[in-house]
Amino acid sequence: MDGLIGFRQRIDEIDEQLVALLNARAEQAQAIGRIKHASGEAVYQPAREAEVLAHVRQVNQGPLDDAAMTRLFERIIDEARRLERLADGSGR
Amino acid sequence: MVVIMKERASEPQIQAVIAQLMDMGYDVHRSTGANRIVLGAVGGGHGDPQIVEVQDGVQEVHRISVPYKLASRTFRPENTVIAIDDVRIGGDEVIVMAGPCSAESEEQVEASAAAVKRAGAKVLRGGAFKPRSSPYSFQGLGEPGLRMLRAAADRHGLKLITEVMEISQIELVAKYAHVLQVGARNMQNYSLLRELGKARAPVMIKRGISATIEEWLMSAEYVLAGGNTQVMLCERGIRTFETYTRNTFDISAIPVVQQLSHLPVIADPSHGTGRRDKVAPMARAAVAAGADGLIIEVHCDPDHAKSDGAQSMFPAQFERLMAELRIIAPAIGRSLCVEPVARRGWNR
Repeated sequence: MDGLIGFRQRIDEIDEQLVALLNARAEQAQAIGRIKHASGEAVYQPAREAEVLAHVRQVNQGPLDDAAMTRLFERIIDEARRLERLADGSGR
Repeated sequence: MVVIMKERASEPQIQAVIAQLMDMGYDVHRSTGANRIVLGAVGGGHGDPQIVEVQDGVQEVHRISVPYKLASRTFRPENTVIAIDDVRIGGDEVIVMAGPCSAESEEQVEASAAAVKRAGAKVLRGGAFKPRSSPYSFQGLGEPGLRMLRAAADRHGLKLITEVMEISQIELVAKYAHVLQVGARNMQNYSLLRELGKARAPVMIKRGISATIEEWLMSAEYVLAGGNTQVMLCERGIRTFETYTRNTFDISAIPVVQQLSHLPVIADPSHGTGRRDKVAPMARAAVAAGADGLIIEVHCDPDHAKSDGAQSMFPAQFERLMAELRIIAPAIGRSLCVEPVARRGWNR
């Protein structure tokens, strides 16, 4: 079991980086949300979401396959869409 | 709600559904499976799931939250107990309501009330306004019937439950009755239910003859939404393809409703079966299934009853049933008629 400790420590470190990166990404979404609300643009832009997913798949080198990466990023996009919706400050 | 898209749903179809769910105020979780896309609508949105269901590319829609709020256990986790003086409906004690289908005469009401009291019933049942399937059948005695029922109930220390058929009768019936009953045929009479929401008397809503449990709970919701929190439900059998019994008594509705709702559930094995000889077994089963009370037709002379004679028990049959129920109730942690009745002192 001792062999696991090093890997688990590494996972914790990576998770910390992921949290920081996800929040950095979320800040961009909030900024975009504010711009969309100011200009009256729709929050949900499916074409752009498809672009994001295509880009993620393009840069993906595994071991997660493209379908797995797509599923993970669908959730990230779901949350980004929610932040953009809330970015008008109304709380709704 | 959860929206399952068809296997061959196109990307524009999926996008249209996402946009619609967002319009309804939901946040959408998109999950791509091996063959199909599932959209989870979460958060504080609201809208008719059926509108989503008819969109192109949608296979099915599952609602997660229930449409009844005040009647649901989520709203009130603990059981509602309806107290009428010392009679507590929805508590540990199984409350038995019994009496004739209709009030027919002073003598008949008195003899029936005395019989059910002797056997251990706490509430007298009996109709003065009868919703009959035929306009040519006995329609009830009206206010004189109410007066007879209340006088007999008072003489024997019983509470009174009786049916109110229409809005114009509420005030009159509430003058005499402790509990107002909404009959199966009126379960979806929403204007009546709305008025009963303003009443301050307990209301018992019988399940409609073809009503789903959800529709039944929505009827309770009408009364609760009006501000009347004293609502109990009564399973009385539903219509199925079986014709041997008058209705099919849905015993499973008892635990189902008790899980979904905090409201007391009463069982009516008389209407549930329509046959005197089937009332006792179904009454025993209902108590074993956890019913908070029973409502049973007992007539001093069933063979000459003006209504529901075939399903009315003889007083001696009812007494025997009550003795059996006193053995069944403790097996599931309930009690039945804890007050010692003169001839049943062994109960304590």
